[in-house]
Amino acid sequence: MNSKKPLLTAAAGLALLGTAGCGSAGSAQDAATDEASGTPAPAASSGAPATSGEYQDGEYTATGSYIPPSNTKEEVTVSLTLADGVVTDLQVSTSGNHPTSKRYQAEFTNGVQQEVVGKPLDEVKVDKVASSSLTSSGFNKALDEIKSEASR
Amino acid sequence: MDAWSFEAIGTHWEISAGAPLDAATRAAVSGLVSGYDQALSRFRSDSVLAGLFHGGGTAVLPGYTAELLSLYDSLDRLTEGRMNPLVGGSLELLGYGPGYRLTPQGPASGAPDWQRAVQWESVQREAGGPAEVRLSLAGPGTIDVGAAGKGQLVDLVWELVTGRGYASVVVDAGSDMRHSGPALRVGLEHPFDPQQAIGVVQLQDRALCASAINRRAWGNGLHHVLDASTGLPVNAVAATWVLARDAMTADGLATALFLTDPSLLAAEFDFDYVRMFSDGRAEYSSAMAGVLFS
Repeated sequence: MNSKKPLLTAAAGLALLGTAGCGSAGSAQDAATDEASGTPAPAASSGAPATSGEYQDGEYTATGSYIPPSNTKEEVTVSLTLADGVVTDLQVSTSGNHPTSKRYQAEFTNGVQQEVVGKPLDEVKVDKVASSSLTSSGFNKALDEIKSEASR
Repeated sequence: MDAWSFEAIGTHWEISAGAPLDAATRAAVSGLVSGYDQALSRFRSDSVLAGLFHGGGTAVLPGYTAELLSLYDSLDRLTEGRMNPLVGGSLELLGYGPGYRLTPQGPASGAPDWQRAVQWESVQREAGGPAEVRLSLAGPGTIDVGAAGKGQLVDLVWELVTGRGYASVVVDAGSDMRHSGPALRVGLEHPFDPQQAIGVVQLQDRALCASAINRRAWGNGLHHVLDASTGLPVNAVAATWVLARDAMTADGLATALFLTDPSLLAAEFDFDYVRMFSDGRAEYSSAMAGVLFS
């Protein structure tokens, strides 16, 4: 289960980069067979949803690239299958040209937890707690003042 | 192990070591902390740095400022300007400035370009003498070194105490920590519930810094972690924890992880991290596997 969502995130990221127009890599099979109305499917290159919020079923592949600080161009290829608007299969592969990129791309797919689980601090034996910086007694005082002014 | 506690730079400090700190060491620590505040605080109108805020100019800062500025140069570049000390002006606009008005003072605004607005160099006035940093600001602007400055001060204090022969020194300033000695178990506070932890890390001979948007937040989604390119608070990431060799790096990276991808930072920095998103998802570097409760 853990493998699905982060990959979707990767796909979303690619879309944001503007490099992943559906079918732009030429391997999309924008099947129009599910169109009950028989309306022609939009051109494969457009990748636009048929109607707002709906996507054509089919297989999509897109490749995005990014330049890490090593300056070695890296490519990420995402393939996914849509059926009834749901992603039923998803594959992500990376070029991993640079050793650092390789290492961290690998870590990315490993190190994800879908939902953090909180445990009461008094049940967890710890020596210290790392919270957000508790800086700002001054800040907290000001907040208290605002709260007391607001309650007058 | 007795801890010495005090309040400074608006936060709670705890310093512990294998033996109680003597009076001379405590005095030296106090002097170091107030000197740092005097040089770099955005909240003190009499700080050396604040002297530049109205019209720009050149300030002479302690030599250690070079490391801090060099870190900021890297983080500004790696985040493409989203992490930039000139965000101080944007913070003030949102009401988080001296006097803590906590009421927006105008529309949000992005910060001036760091590389263009600020020039700095480390100089030695005489051979063998102490270095100093000359920083020039091209025009009015507010420099906030808070994202990594507290971490650097933790390092400086840790080095001072360790340099005086103390072992197993742990410096904790409002949960920015630098550690040496026997390992500690440190709970990661749940950003949405301070009574809970989401995991436990082992801290030994490294630094651990955390950042979250739950504290120092004031009305209408405003909080203290801003994207310097827009001047608006960031929302996708709820909390970050970073382990690194020193606290300045850990502190700076903990903020940078709100603004950019860990893999970009990993190309230039050696660190481990956990970051939690506001939807409850979390991701972490491979060495942190098993740290989060499941």
